Amino acid sequence: MKKVFDRFYNLIAVICCLLLIGVLLYAVSLLPSYGEENPRSVEVVERYVEHGLEETGATNIVAGMILDYRAFDTLGESHVLFTALICVIILLGKDKKNMRREYDSYYTVEAESYHLLQTDTIVRLVGYVLLPGLFLFGIYILLNGQLSPGGGFSGGAIMGAALIIFAVAFGFETVDRVFTEKLLKTVTFVALSFYSFAKGYVFFTGANGIDNHIPKGVPGAILSGGLILPLDIAVGFVVACTMFGFYSLFRRGSIGHDITFMDQQ
Amino acid sequence: MTGGWIGFWITAVLMLAGMLAFTAGVIGANRFGFALNRMHAAGIGDTAGLFLVFLAVWVAEGIHMDTVKLGLIVFFMWFTSPVSSHFLSQIEYYTNPGLYQFLHREKQQKGDA
Repeated sequence: MKKVFDRFYNLIAVICCLLLIGVLLYAVSLLPSYGEENPRSVEVVERYVEHGLEETGATNIVAGMILDYRAFDTLGESHVLFTALICVIILLGKDKKNMRREYDSYYTVEAESYHLLQTDTIVRLVGYVLLPGLFLFGIYILLNGQLSPGGGFSGGAIMGAALIIFAVAFGFETVDRVFTEKLLKTVTFVALSFYSFAKGYVFFTGANGIDNHIPKGVPGAILSGGLILPLDIAVGFVVACTMFGFYSLFRRGSIGHDITFMDQQ
Repeated sequence: MTGGWIGFWITAVLMLAGMLAFTAGVIGANRFGFALNRMHAAGIGDTAGLFLVFLAVWVAEGIHMDTVKLGLIVFFMWFTSPVSSHFLSQIEYYTNPGLYQFLHREKQQKGDA
């Protein structure tokens, strides 16, 4: 019986794949040929390329697109990250209601020598050399979003990775001195609400034809592009906090020093 | 004219050797059964393969800004890739309870004692 089912299953799988290939190839055959203008999208593209610089003030057209013309989309993406972080905190966080105390052995490794990993000389040395450069590189990419390729998501990802390397090389105790759960929640909340209010103001004034009093600046200067630079910073903070929060929660079930858990012990 | 040919052959040999190292790394990382062996194979591609390909490009193009940047990339890869392999192997060593069946030397010493 199982053999028949397996054979049937394989047959269905092959047919499904062939159907999918056929549908996709048909869709490709309907595309305009290479080099031709696509009549459906050419209007928007022309608008972005020709008026992007004067309307957004950003020399990087992509930054102008995702943080000015389509800032609503980026706002949704940042909130998706925030929602994912909150879900992971709810699911994996140790607190009274989760009764994670009984599962504590799940997070700790039995071998005593495992804790020597936190004082591993090689990883520490690499951390000393790499970390300042990594943080600086992340900040550079974050602040140059309106001028060159980069911006909030990539800069924030680099800063989050640097935080993770920091935690790996020097132990969670070192990171906990500055990076607590309260700080993470505050930074994420402030960044997201700033994004929402600032962009809401621009959308409101733009839709009603009112001047919005946000200076565009000289294109090419670091303080240019109107709201793009502050929004980049907000998005970068959210991304960095989310990445480090994921790592910390999956690794040990809490962000920062877990006070409530320590009280119970 | 002869110098150009010598440069070309050095480039070709170095590039092929780098490709060989990458191929060995890919095959090893996919075919070996044990985590530490796989890590070793992956490390070959990241260090030897990258360095040989960089040398080949360096011989072919000479020293200018682009090759210096490429050298910086190789430097950082040499700095980080072996360290990550080292850290992963430490974690494997401390967390894998069935590790001793793979470490034959360790087993013999235990038998001697």
